[in-house]
Amino acid sequence: MMLARVADSLYWMGRYIERAEHVSRLSDVMLTASLDATGDAPRAARTALGASEDIDEGKTAVDVALSLILDREDPGSVIVSVARARENARQVRDQITSETWERLNLLFLRITSPDAKRQFDQRAVTYLHEVISDLHLFKGAVDSTMSHGEGWRFLMLGIYLERAQLIARLLDASFGEAAQGSPLSDHLSQMGLLRMACALEPYLRVYTADIQPRLIQEFLLFNEDFPRSIRFSTARIEEHLRALAGHGNVQASGTPERLAGRLSSRLRFADLEETASSGAGGLLATISQDCGRIHEAIYGAFVAYPLEQHLPT
Amino acid sequence: MACLGDLRRVDDHDPLDRPPSAAYRPGVAYDEMYDKDAGVRAHYAALQSRISTLGAGELADRQRTLEQSFLLQGITFTVYGAETSTEQIIPTDLFPRIIPAAEWAKIEAGLAQRLQALNLFLADIYGDQIILKDGVVPRDLVLGAPAYRREMQGLYVPHKAYANVCGSDLIRNEAGEFVVLEDNLRVPSGVSYMLANRDAAKRTFPGTYRTSGVRSIERYPDMLLATLKSLAAEWRPNPQVVVLTPGVYNSAYYEHAYLARLMGAPLVEGRDLVVHDNLVYMRTTVGLKRVDVIYRRVDDDYIDHLTFRRDSALGAAGLFNAYRAGNVVIANAPGAGVADDKAVYAYVPEIIRYYLDQEPILSNVETYLCREPKQLGYVLDNLDKLVVKAVGASGGYGMLVGPHASAQERSDFAQQLKADPSNYIAQPTIQLSTAPCLVDGAIEPRHVDLRPFILCGDKIVVTPGALTRVALKRGSLVVNSSQGGGSKDTWVLMGENDTAAAGDQPA
Repeated sequence: MMLARVADSLYWMGRYIERAEHVSRLSDVMLTASLDATGDAPRAARTALGASEDIDEGKTAVDVALSLILDREDPGSVIVSVARARENARQVRDQITSETWERLNLLFLRITSPDAKRQFDQRAVTYLHEVISDLHLFKGAVDSTMSHGEGWRFLMLGIYLERAQLIARLLDASFGEAAQGSPLSDHLSQMGLLRMACALEPYLRVYTADIQPRLIQEFLLFNEDFPRSIRFSTARIEEHLRALAGHGNVQASGTPERLAGRLSSRLRFADLEETASSGAGGLLATISQDCGRIHEAIYGAFVAYPLEQHLPT
Repeated sequence: MACLGDLRRVDDHDPLDRPPSAAYRPGVAYDEMYDKDAGVRAHYAALQSRISTLGAGELADRQRTLEQSFLLQGITFTVYGAETSTEQIIPTDLFPRIIPAAEWAKIEAGLAQRLQALNLFLADIYGDQIILKDGVVPRDLVLGAPAYRREMQGLYVPHKAYANVCGSDLIRNEAGEFVVLEDNLRVPSGVSYMLANRDAAKRTFPGTYRTSGVRSIERYPDMLLATLKSLAAEWRPNPQVVVLTPGVYNSAYYEHAYLARLMGAPLVEGRDLVVHDNLVYMRTTVGLKRVDVIYRRVDDDYIDHLTFRRDSALGAAGLFNAYRAGNVVIANAPGAGVADDKAVYAYVPEIIRYYLDQEPILSNVETYLCREPKQLGYVLDNLDKLVVKAVGASGGYGMLVGPHASAQERSDFAQQLKADPSNYIAQPTIQLSTAPCLVDGAIEPRHVDLRPFILCGDKIVVTPGALTRVALKRGSLVVNSSQGGGSKDTWVLMGENDTAAAGDQPA
């Protein structure tokens, strides 16, 4: 049992944390790719941007990365995500452990310090590396100091829903409709894509260095063990929602649980061959839609439920 | 305490080319560390000898570490600028202020006596008003006070404890005696700084802390919870306590969240509460959950816009009716502020005598009520020596600091005084005591006050510690954080009868 507003804040904290990490990694890969003189940099940047927002030609990779990280006007930037995550954490400061709060606060102070831009200019890749490490430390503190009860589950729900949507968007930008008929084909861009999903090393262990679009999609969509695959994420979403339904007796919570179960099953029993022949676009669109529905259902079941159902008679 | 103005300047000296403590020169005020002959007071000896082994660099390092830890914990307030907002910590000084056991025993007894009397007074005022009928306190002064709440008349209040959490402001005068400057019975804040300062001091001077025999304050949160639970009806065996905050933008939000976390109570906002059939619920993820006790950190005016201010959305509609029906407890009780009114303050010694038949253990600061023609005459004749405050105002507004004002300002103020004398009180300007503080690498005397915290449910508990507020500007007597004030830890030493375990028990 916890306050509905608090559950909502924890959920959004999770979403913003995941978003910050993802955008940091996109920028990191993009910057690193731009160092290579092979001419694939623009393509990597387009993939990253297509997966995050609109493409503005004529900007250098460093400019783009800078605005993705430190632009307070850009609602998708890392600084905005971290600030919002912290704002939500502040709202629920009594619900999270001091260790968790201090990790997030430290990152916030680092990224909002007047010195941040200079640090980024001087050693952008290192800087991004540190931001990502900080986010991992935060998640570590969440995992090892918070009770794995209701509040933690709302936080994890936020993280996994955001992750499923972000990976779906990344795949869509690379191979789906958003790739506008020119799916990623060259080896380096494909490696870049795997890096953006933090998936390169785990991928290599499964498929060796044989990198193919079909295998990449298979891995990021259907792998059971990789924590950033969509199947893994949706399985966690289902698991957390089932546990949350067990915490209380809200009948309405059946809705998000049912939606999540359906999505999870879809991925568990999907036919790889069928997906490969018709393109992943259809499946990606479904995933995206279902995630949106689950989001709304969570809100309706736990946060903004109609009072009439609960008033004592 | 926004009242006394910047009245005295300590002699200038050049601190930087000497060891940090050699330059310490207390002024005419009572100094907490040194006696009149510049000898170190016995209870400060351990700290003084520790400080004298530390160089300026080491002290600065410790101060920096201290500030860093406050920033990291988020013990900050937000300063909104034109483009960005930055967060700042409340300035904190690393040297603890030390109070020996014997002095504390008197403070403790005095505060308990005072709160007991004030709660009896409130029960009387909101009951039969016998004290008014007996003419001990003027009727119009009480019933006309801005904090008087007619809605509270005749309501049941558990244990007749109207003020459950009280933070009194004490000062030490030139004679070294502690006197009460103000009783805070509304929503006093600062207790989180008391606790955070203690954590910091333990890290800054661990050895000195261990050997000094300092009484523990760690049990404040569970004492607070016990106090709040003691207010719930006995047929509610496991009462749900919540902390009601105005929200994340309130300057004391950190404290609200801190107390909620340490008590394990939900931190709710008005929008989380629902009142139905005179029962209060909070909206949880599994539906509505009944609330029994609300520790509210929202002013009276804002707790229920159906009863009090209509333009407020910080409270919950219908909350006061639920309270009236006895289905929820609000702590502190609405209307408790009438007993810390600046004009009522002057009558507190009389109130103590009236209800308890005892002499007050702690004195008041001498106060002139301008509503009394004789006293008004005295005030008008001595405007250049007095501090005059408007009764209803706070935060330094509507105030004249006589010794500081120009002749023109004084004569203007005299006109206002004559026009509405009952709205003003006057007090002599008092030199607050000084304590050593680290300022720009040197140890200098700064004026301090003392805010202890007292809890009152089924019994009265005085926490053996306090927030010491510091006027960081040299010579300034204003300790408010809004005006360059800071804080420091306060060590209450164990007496012969106190053991470590008893250190946190009520006397």
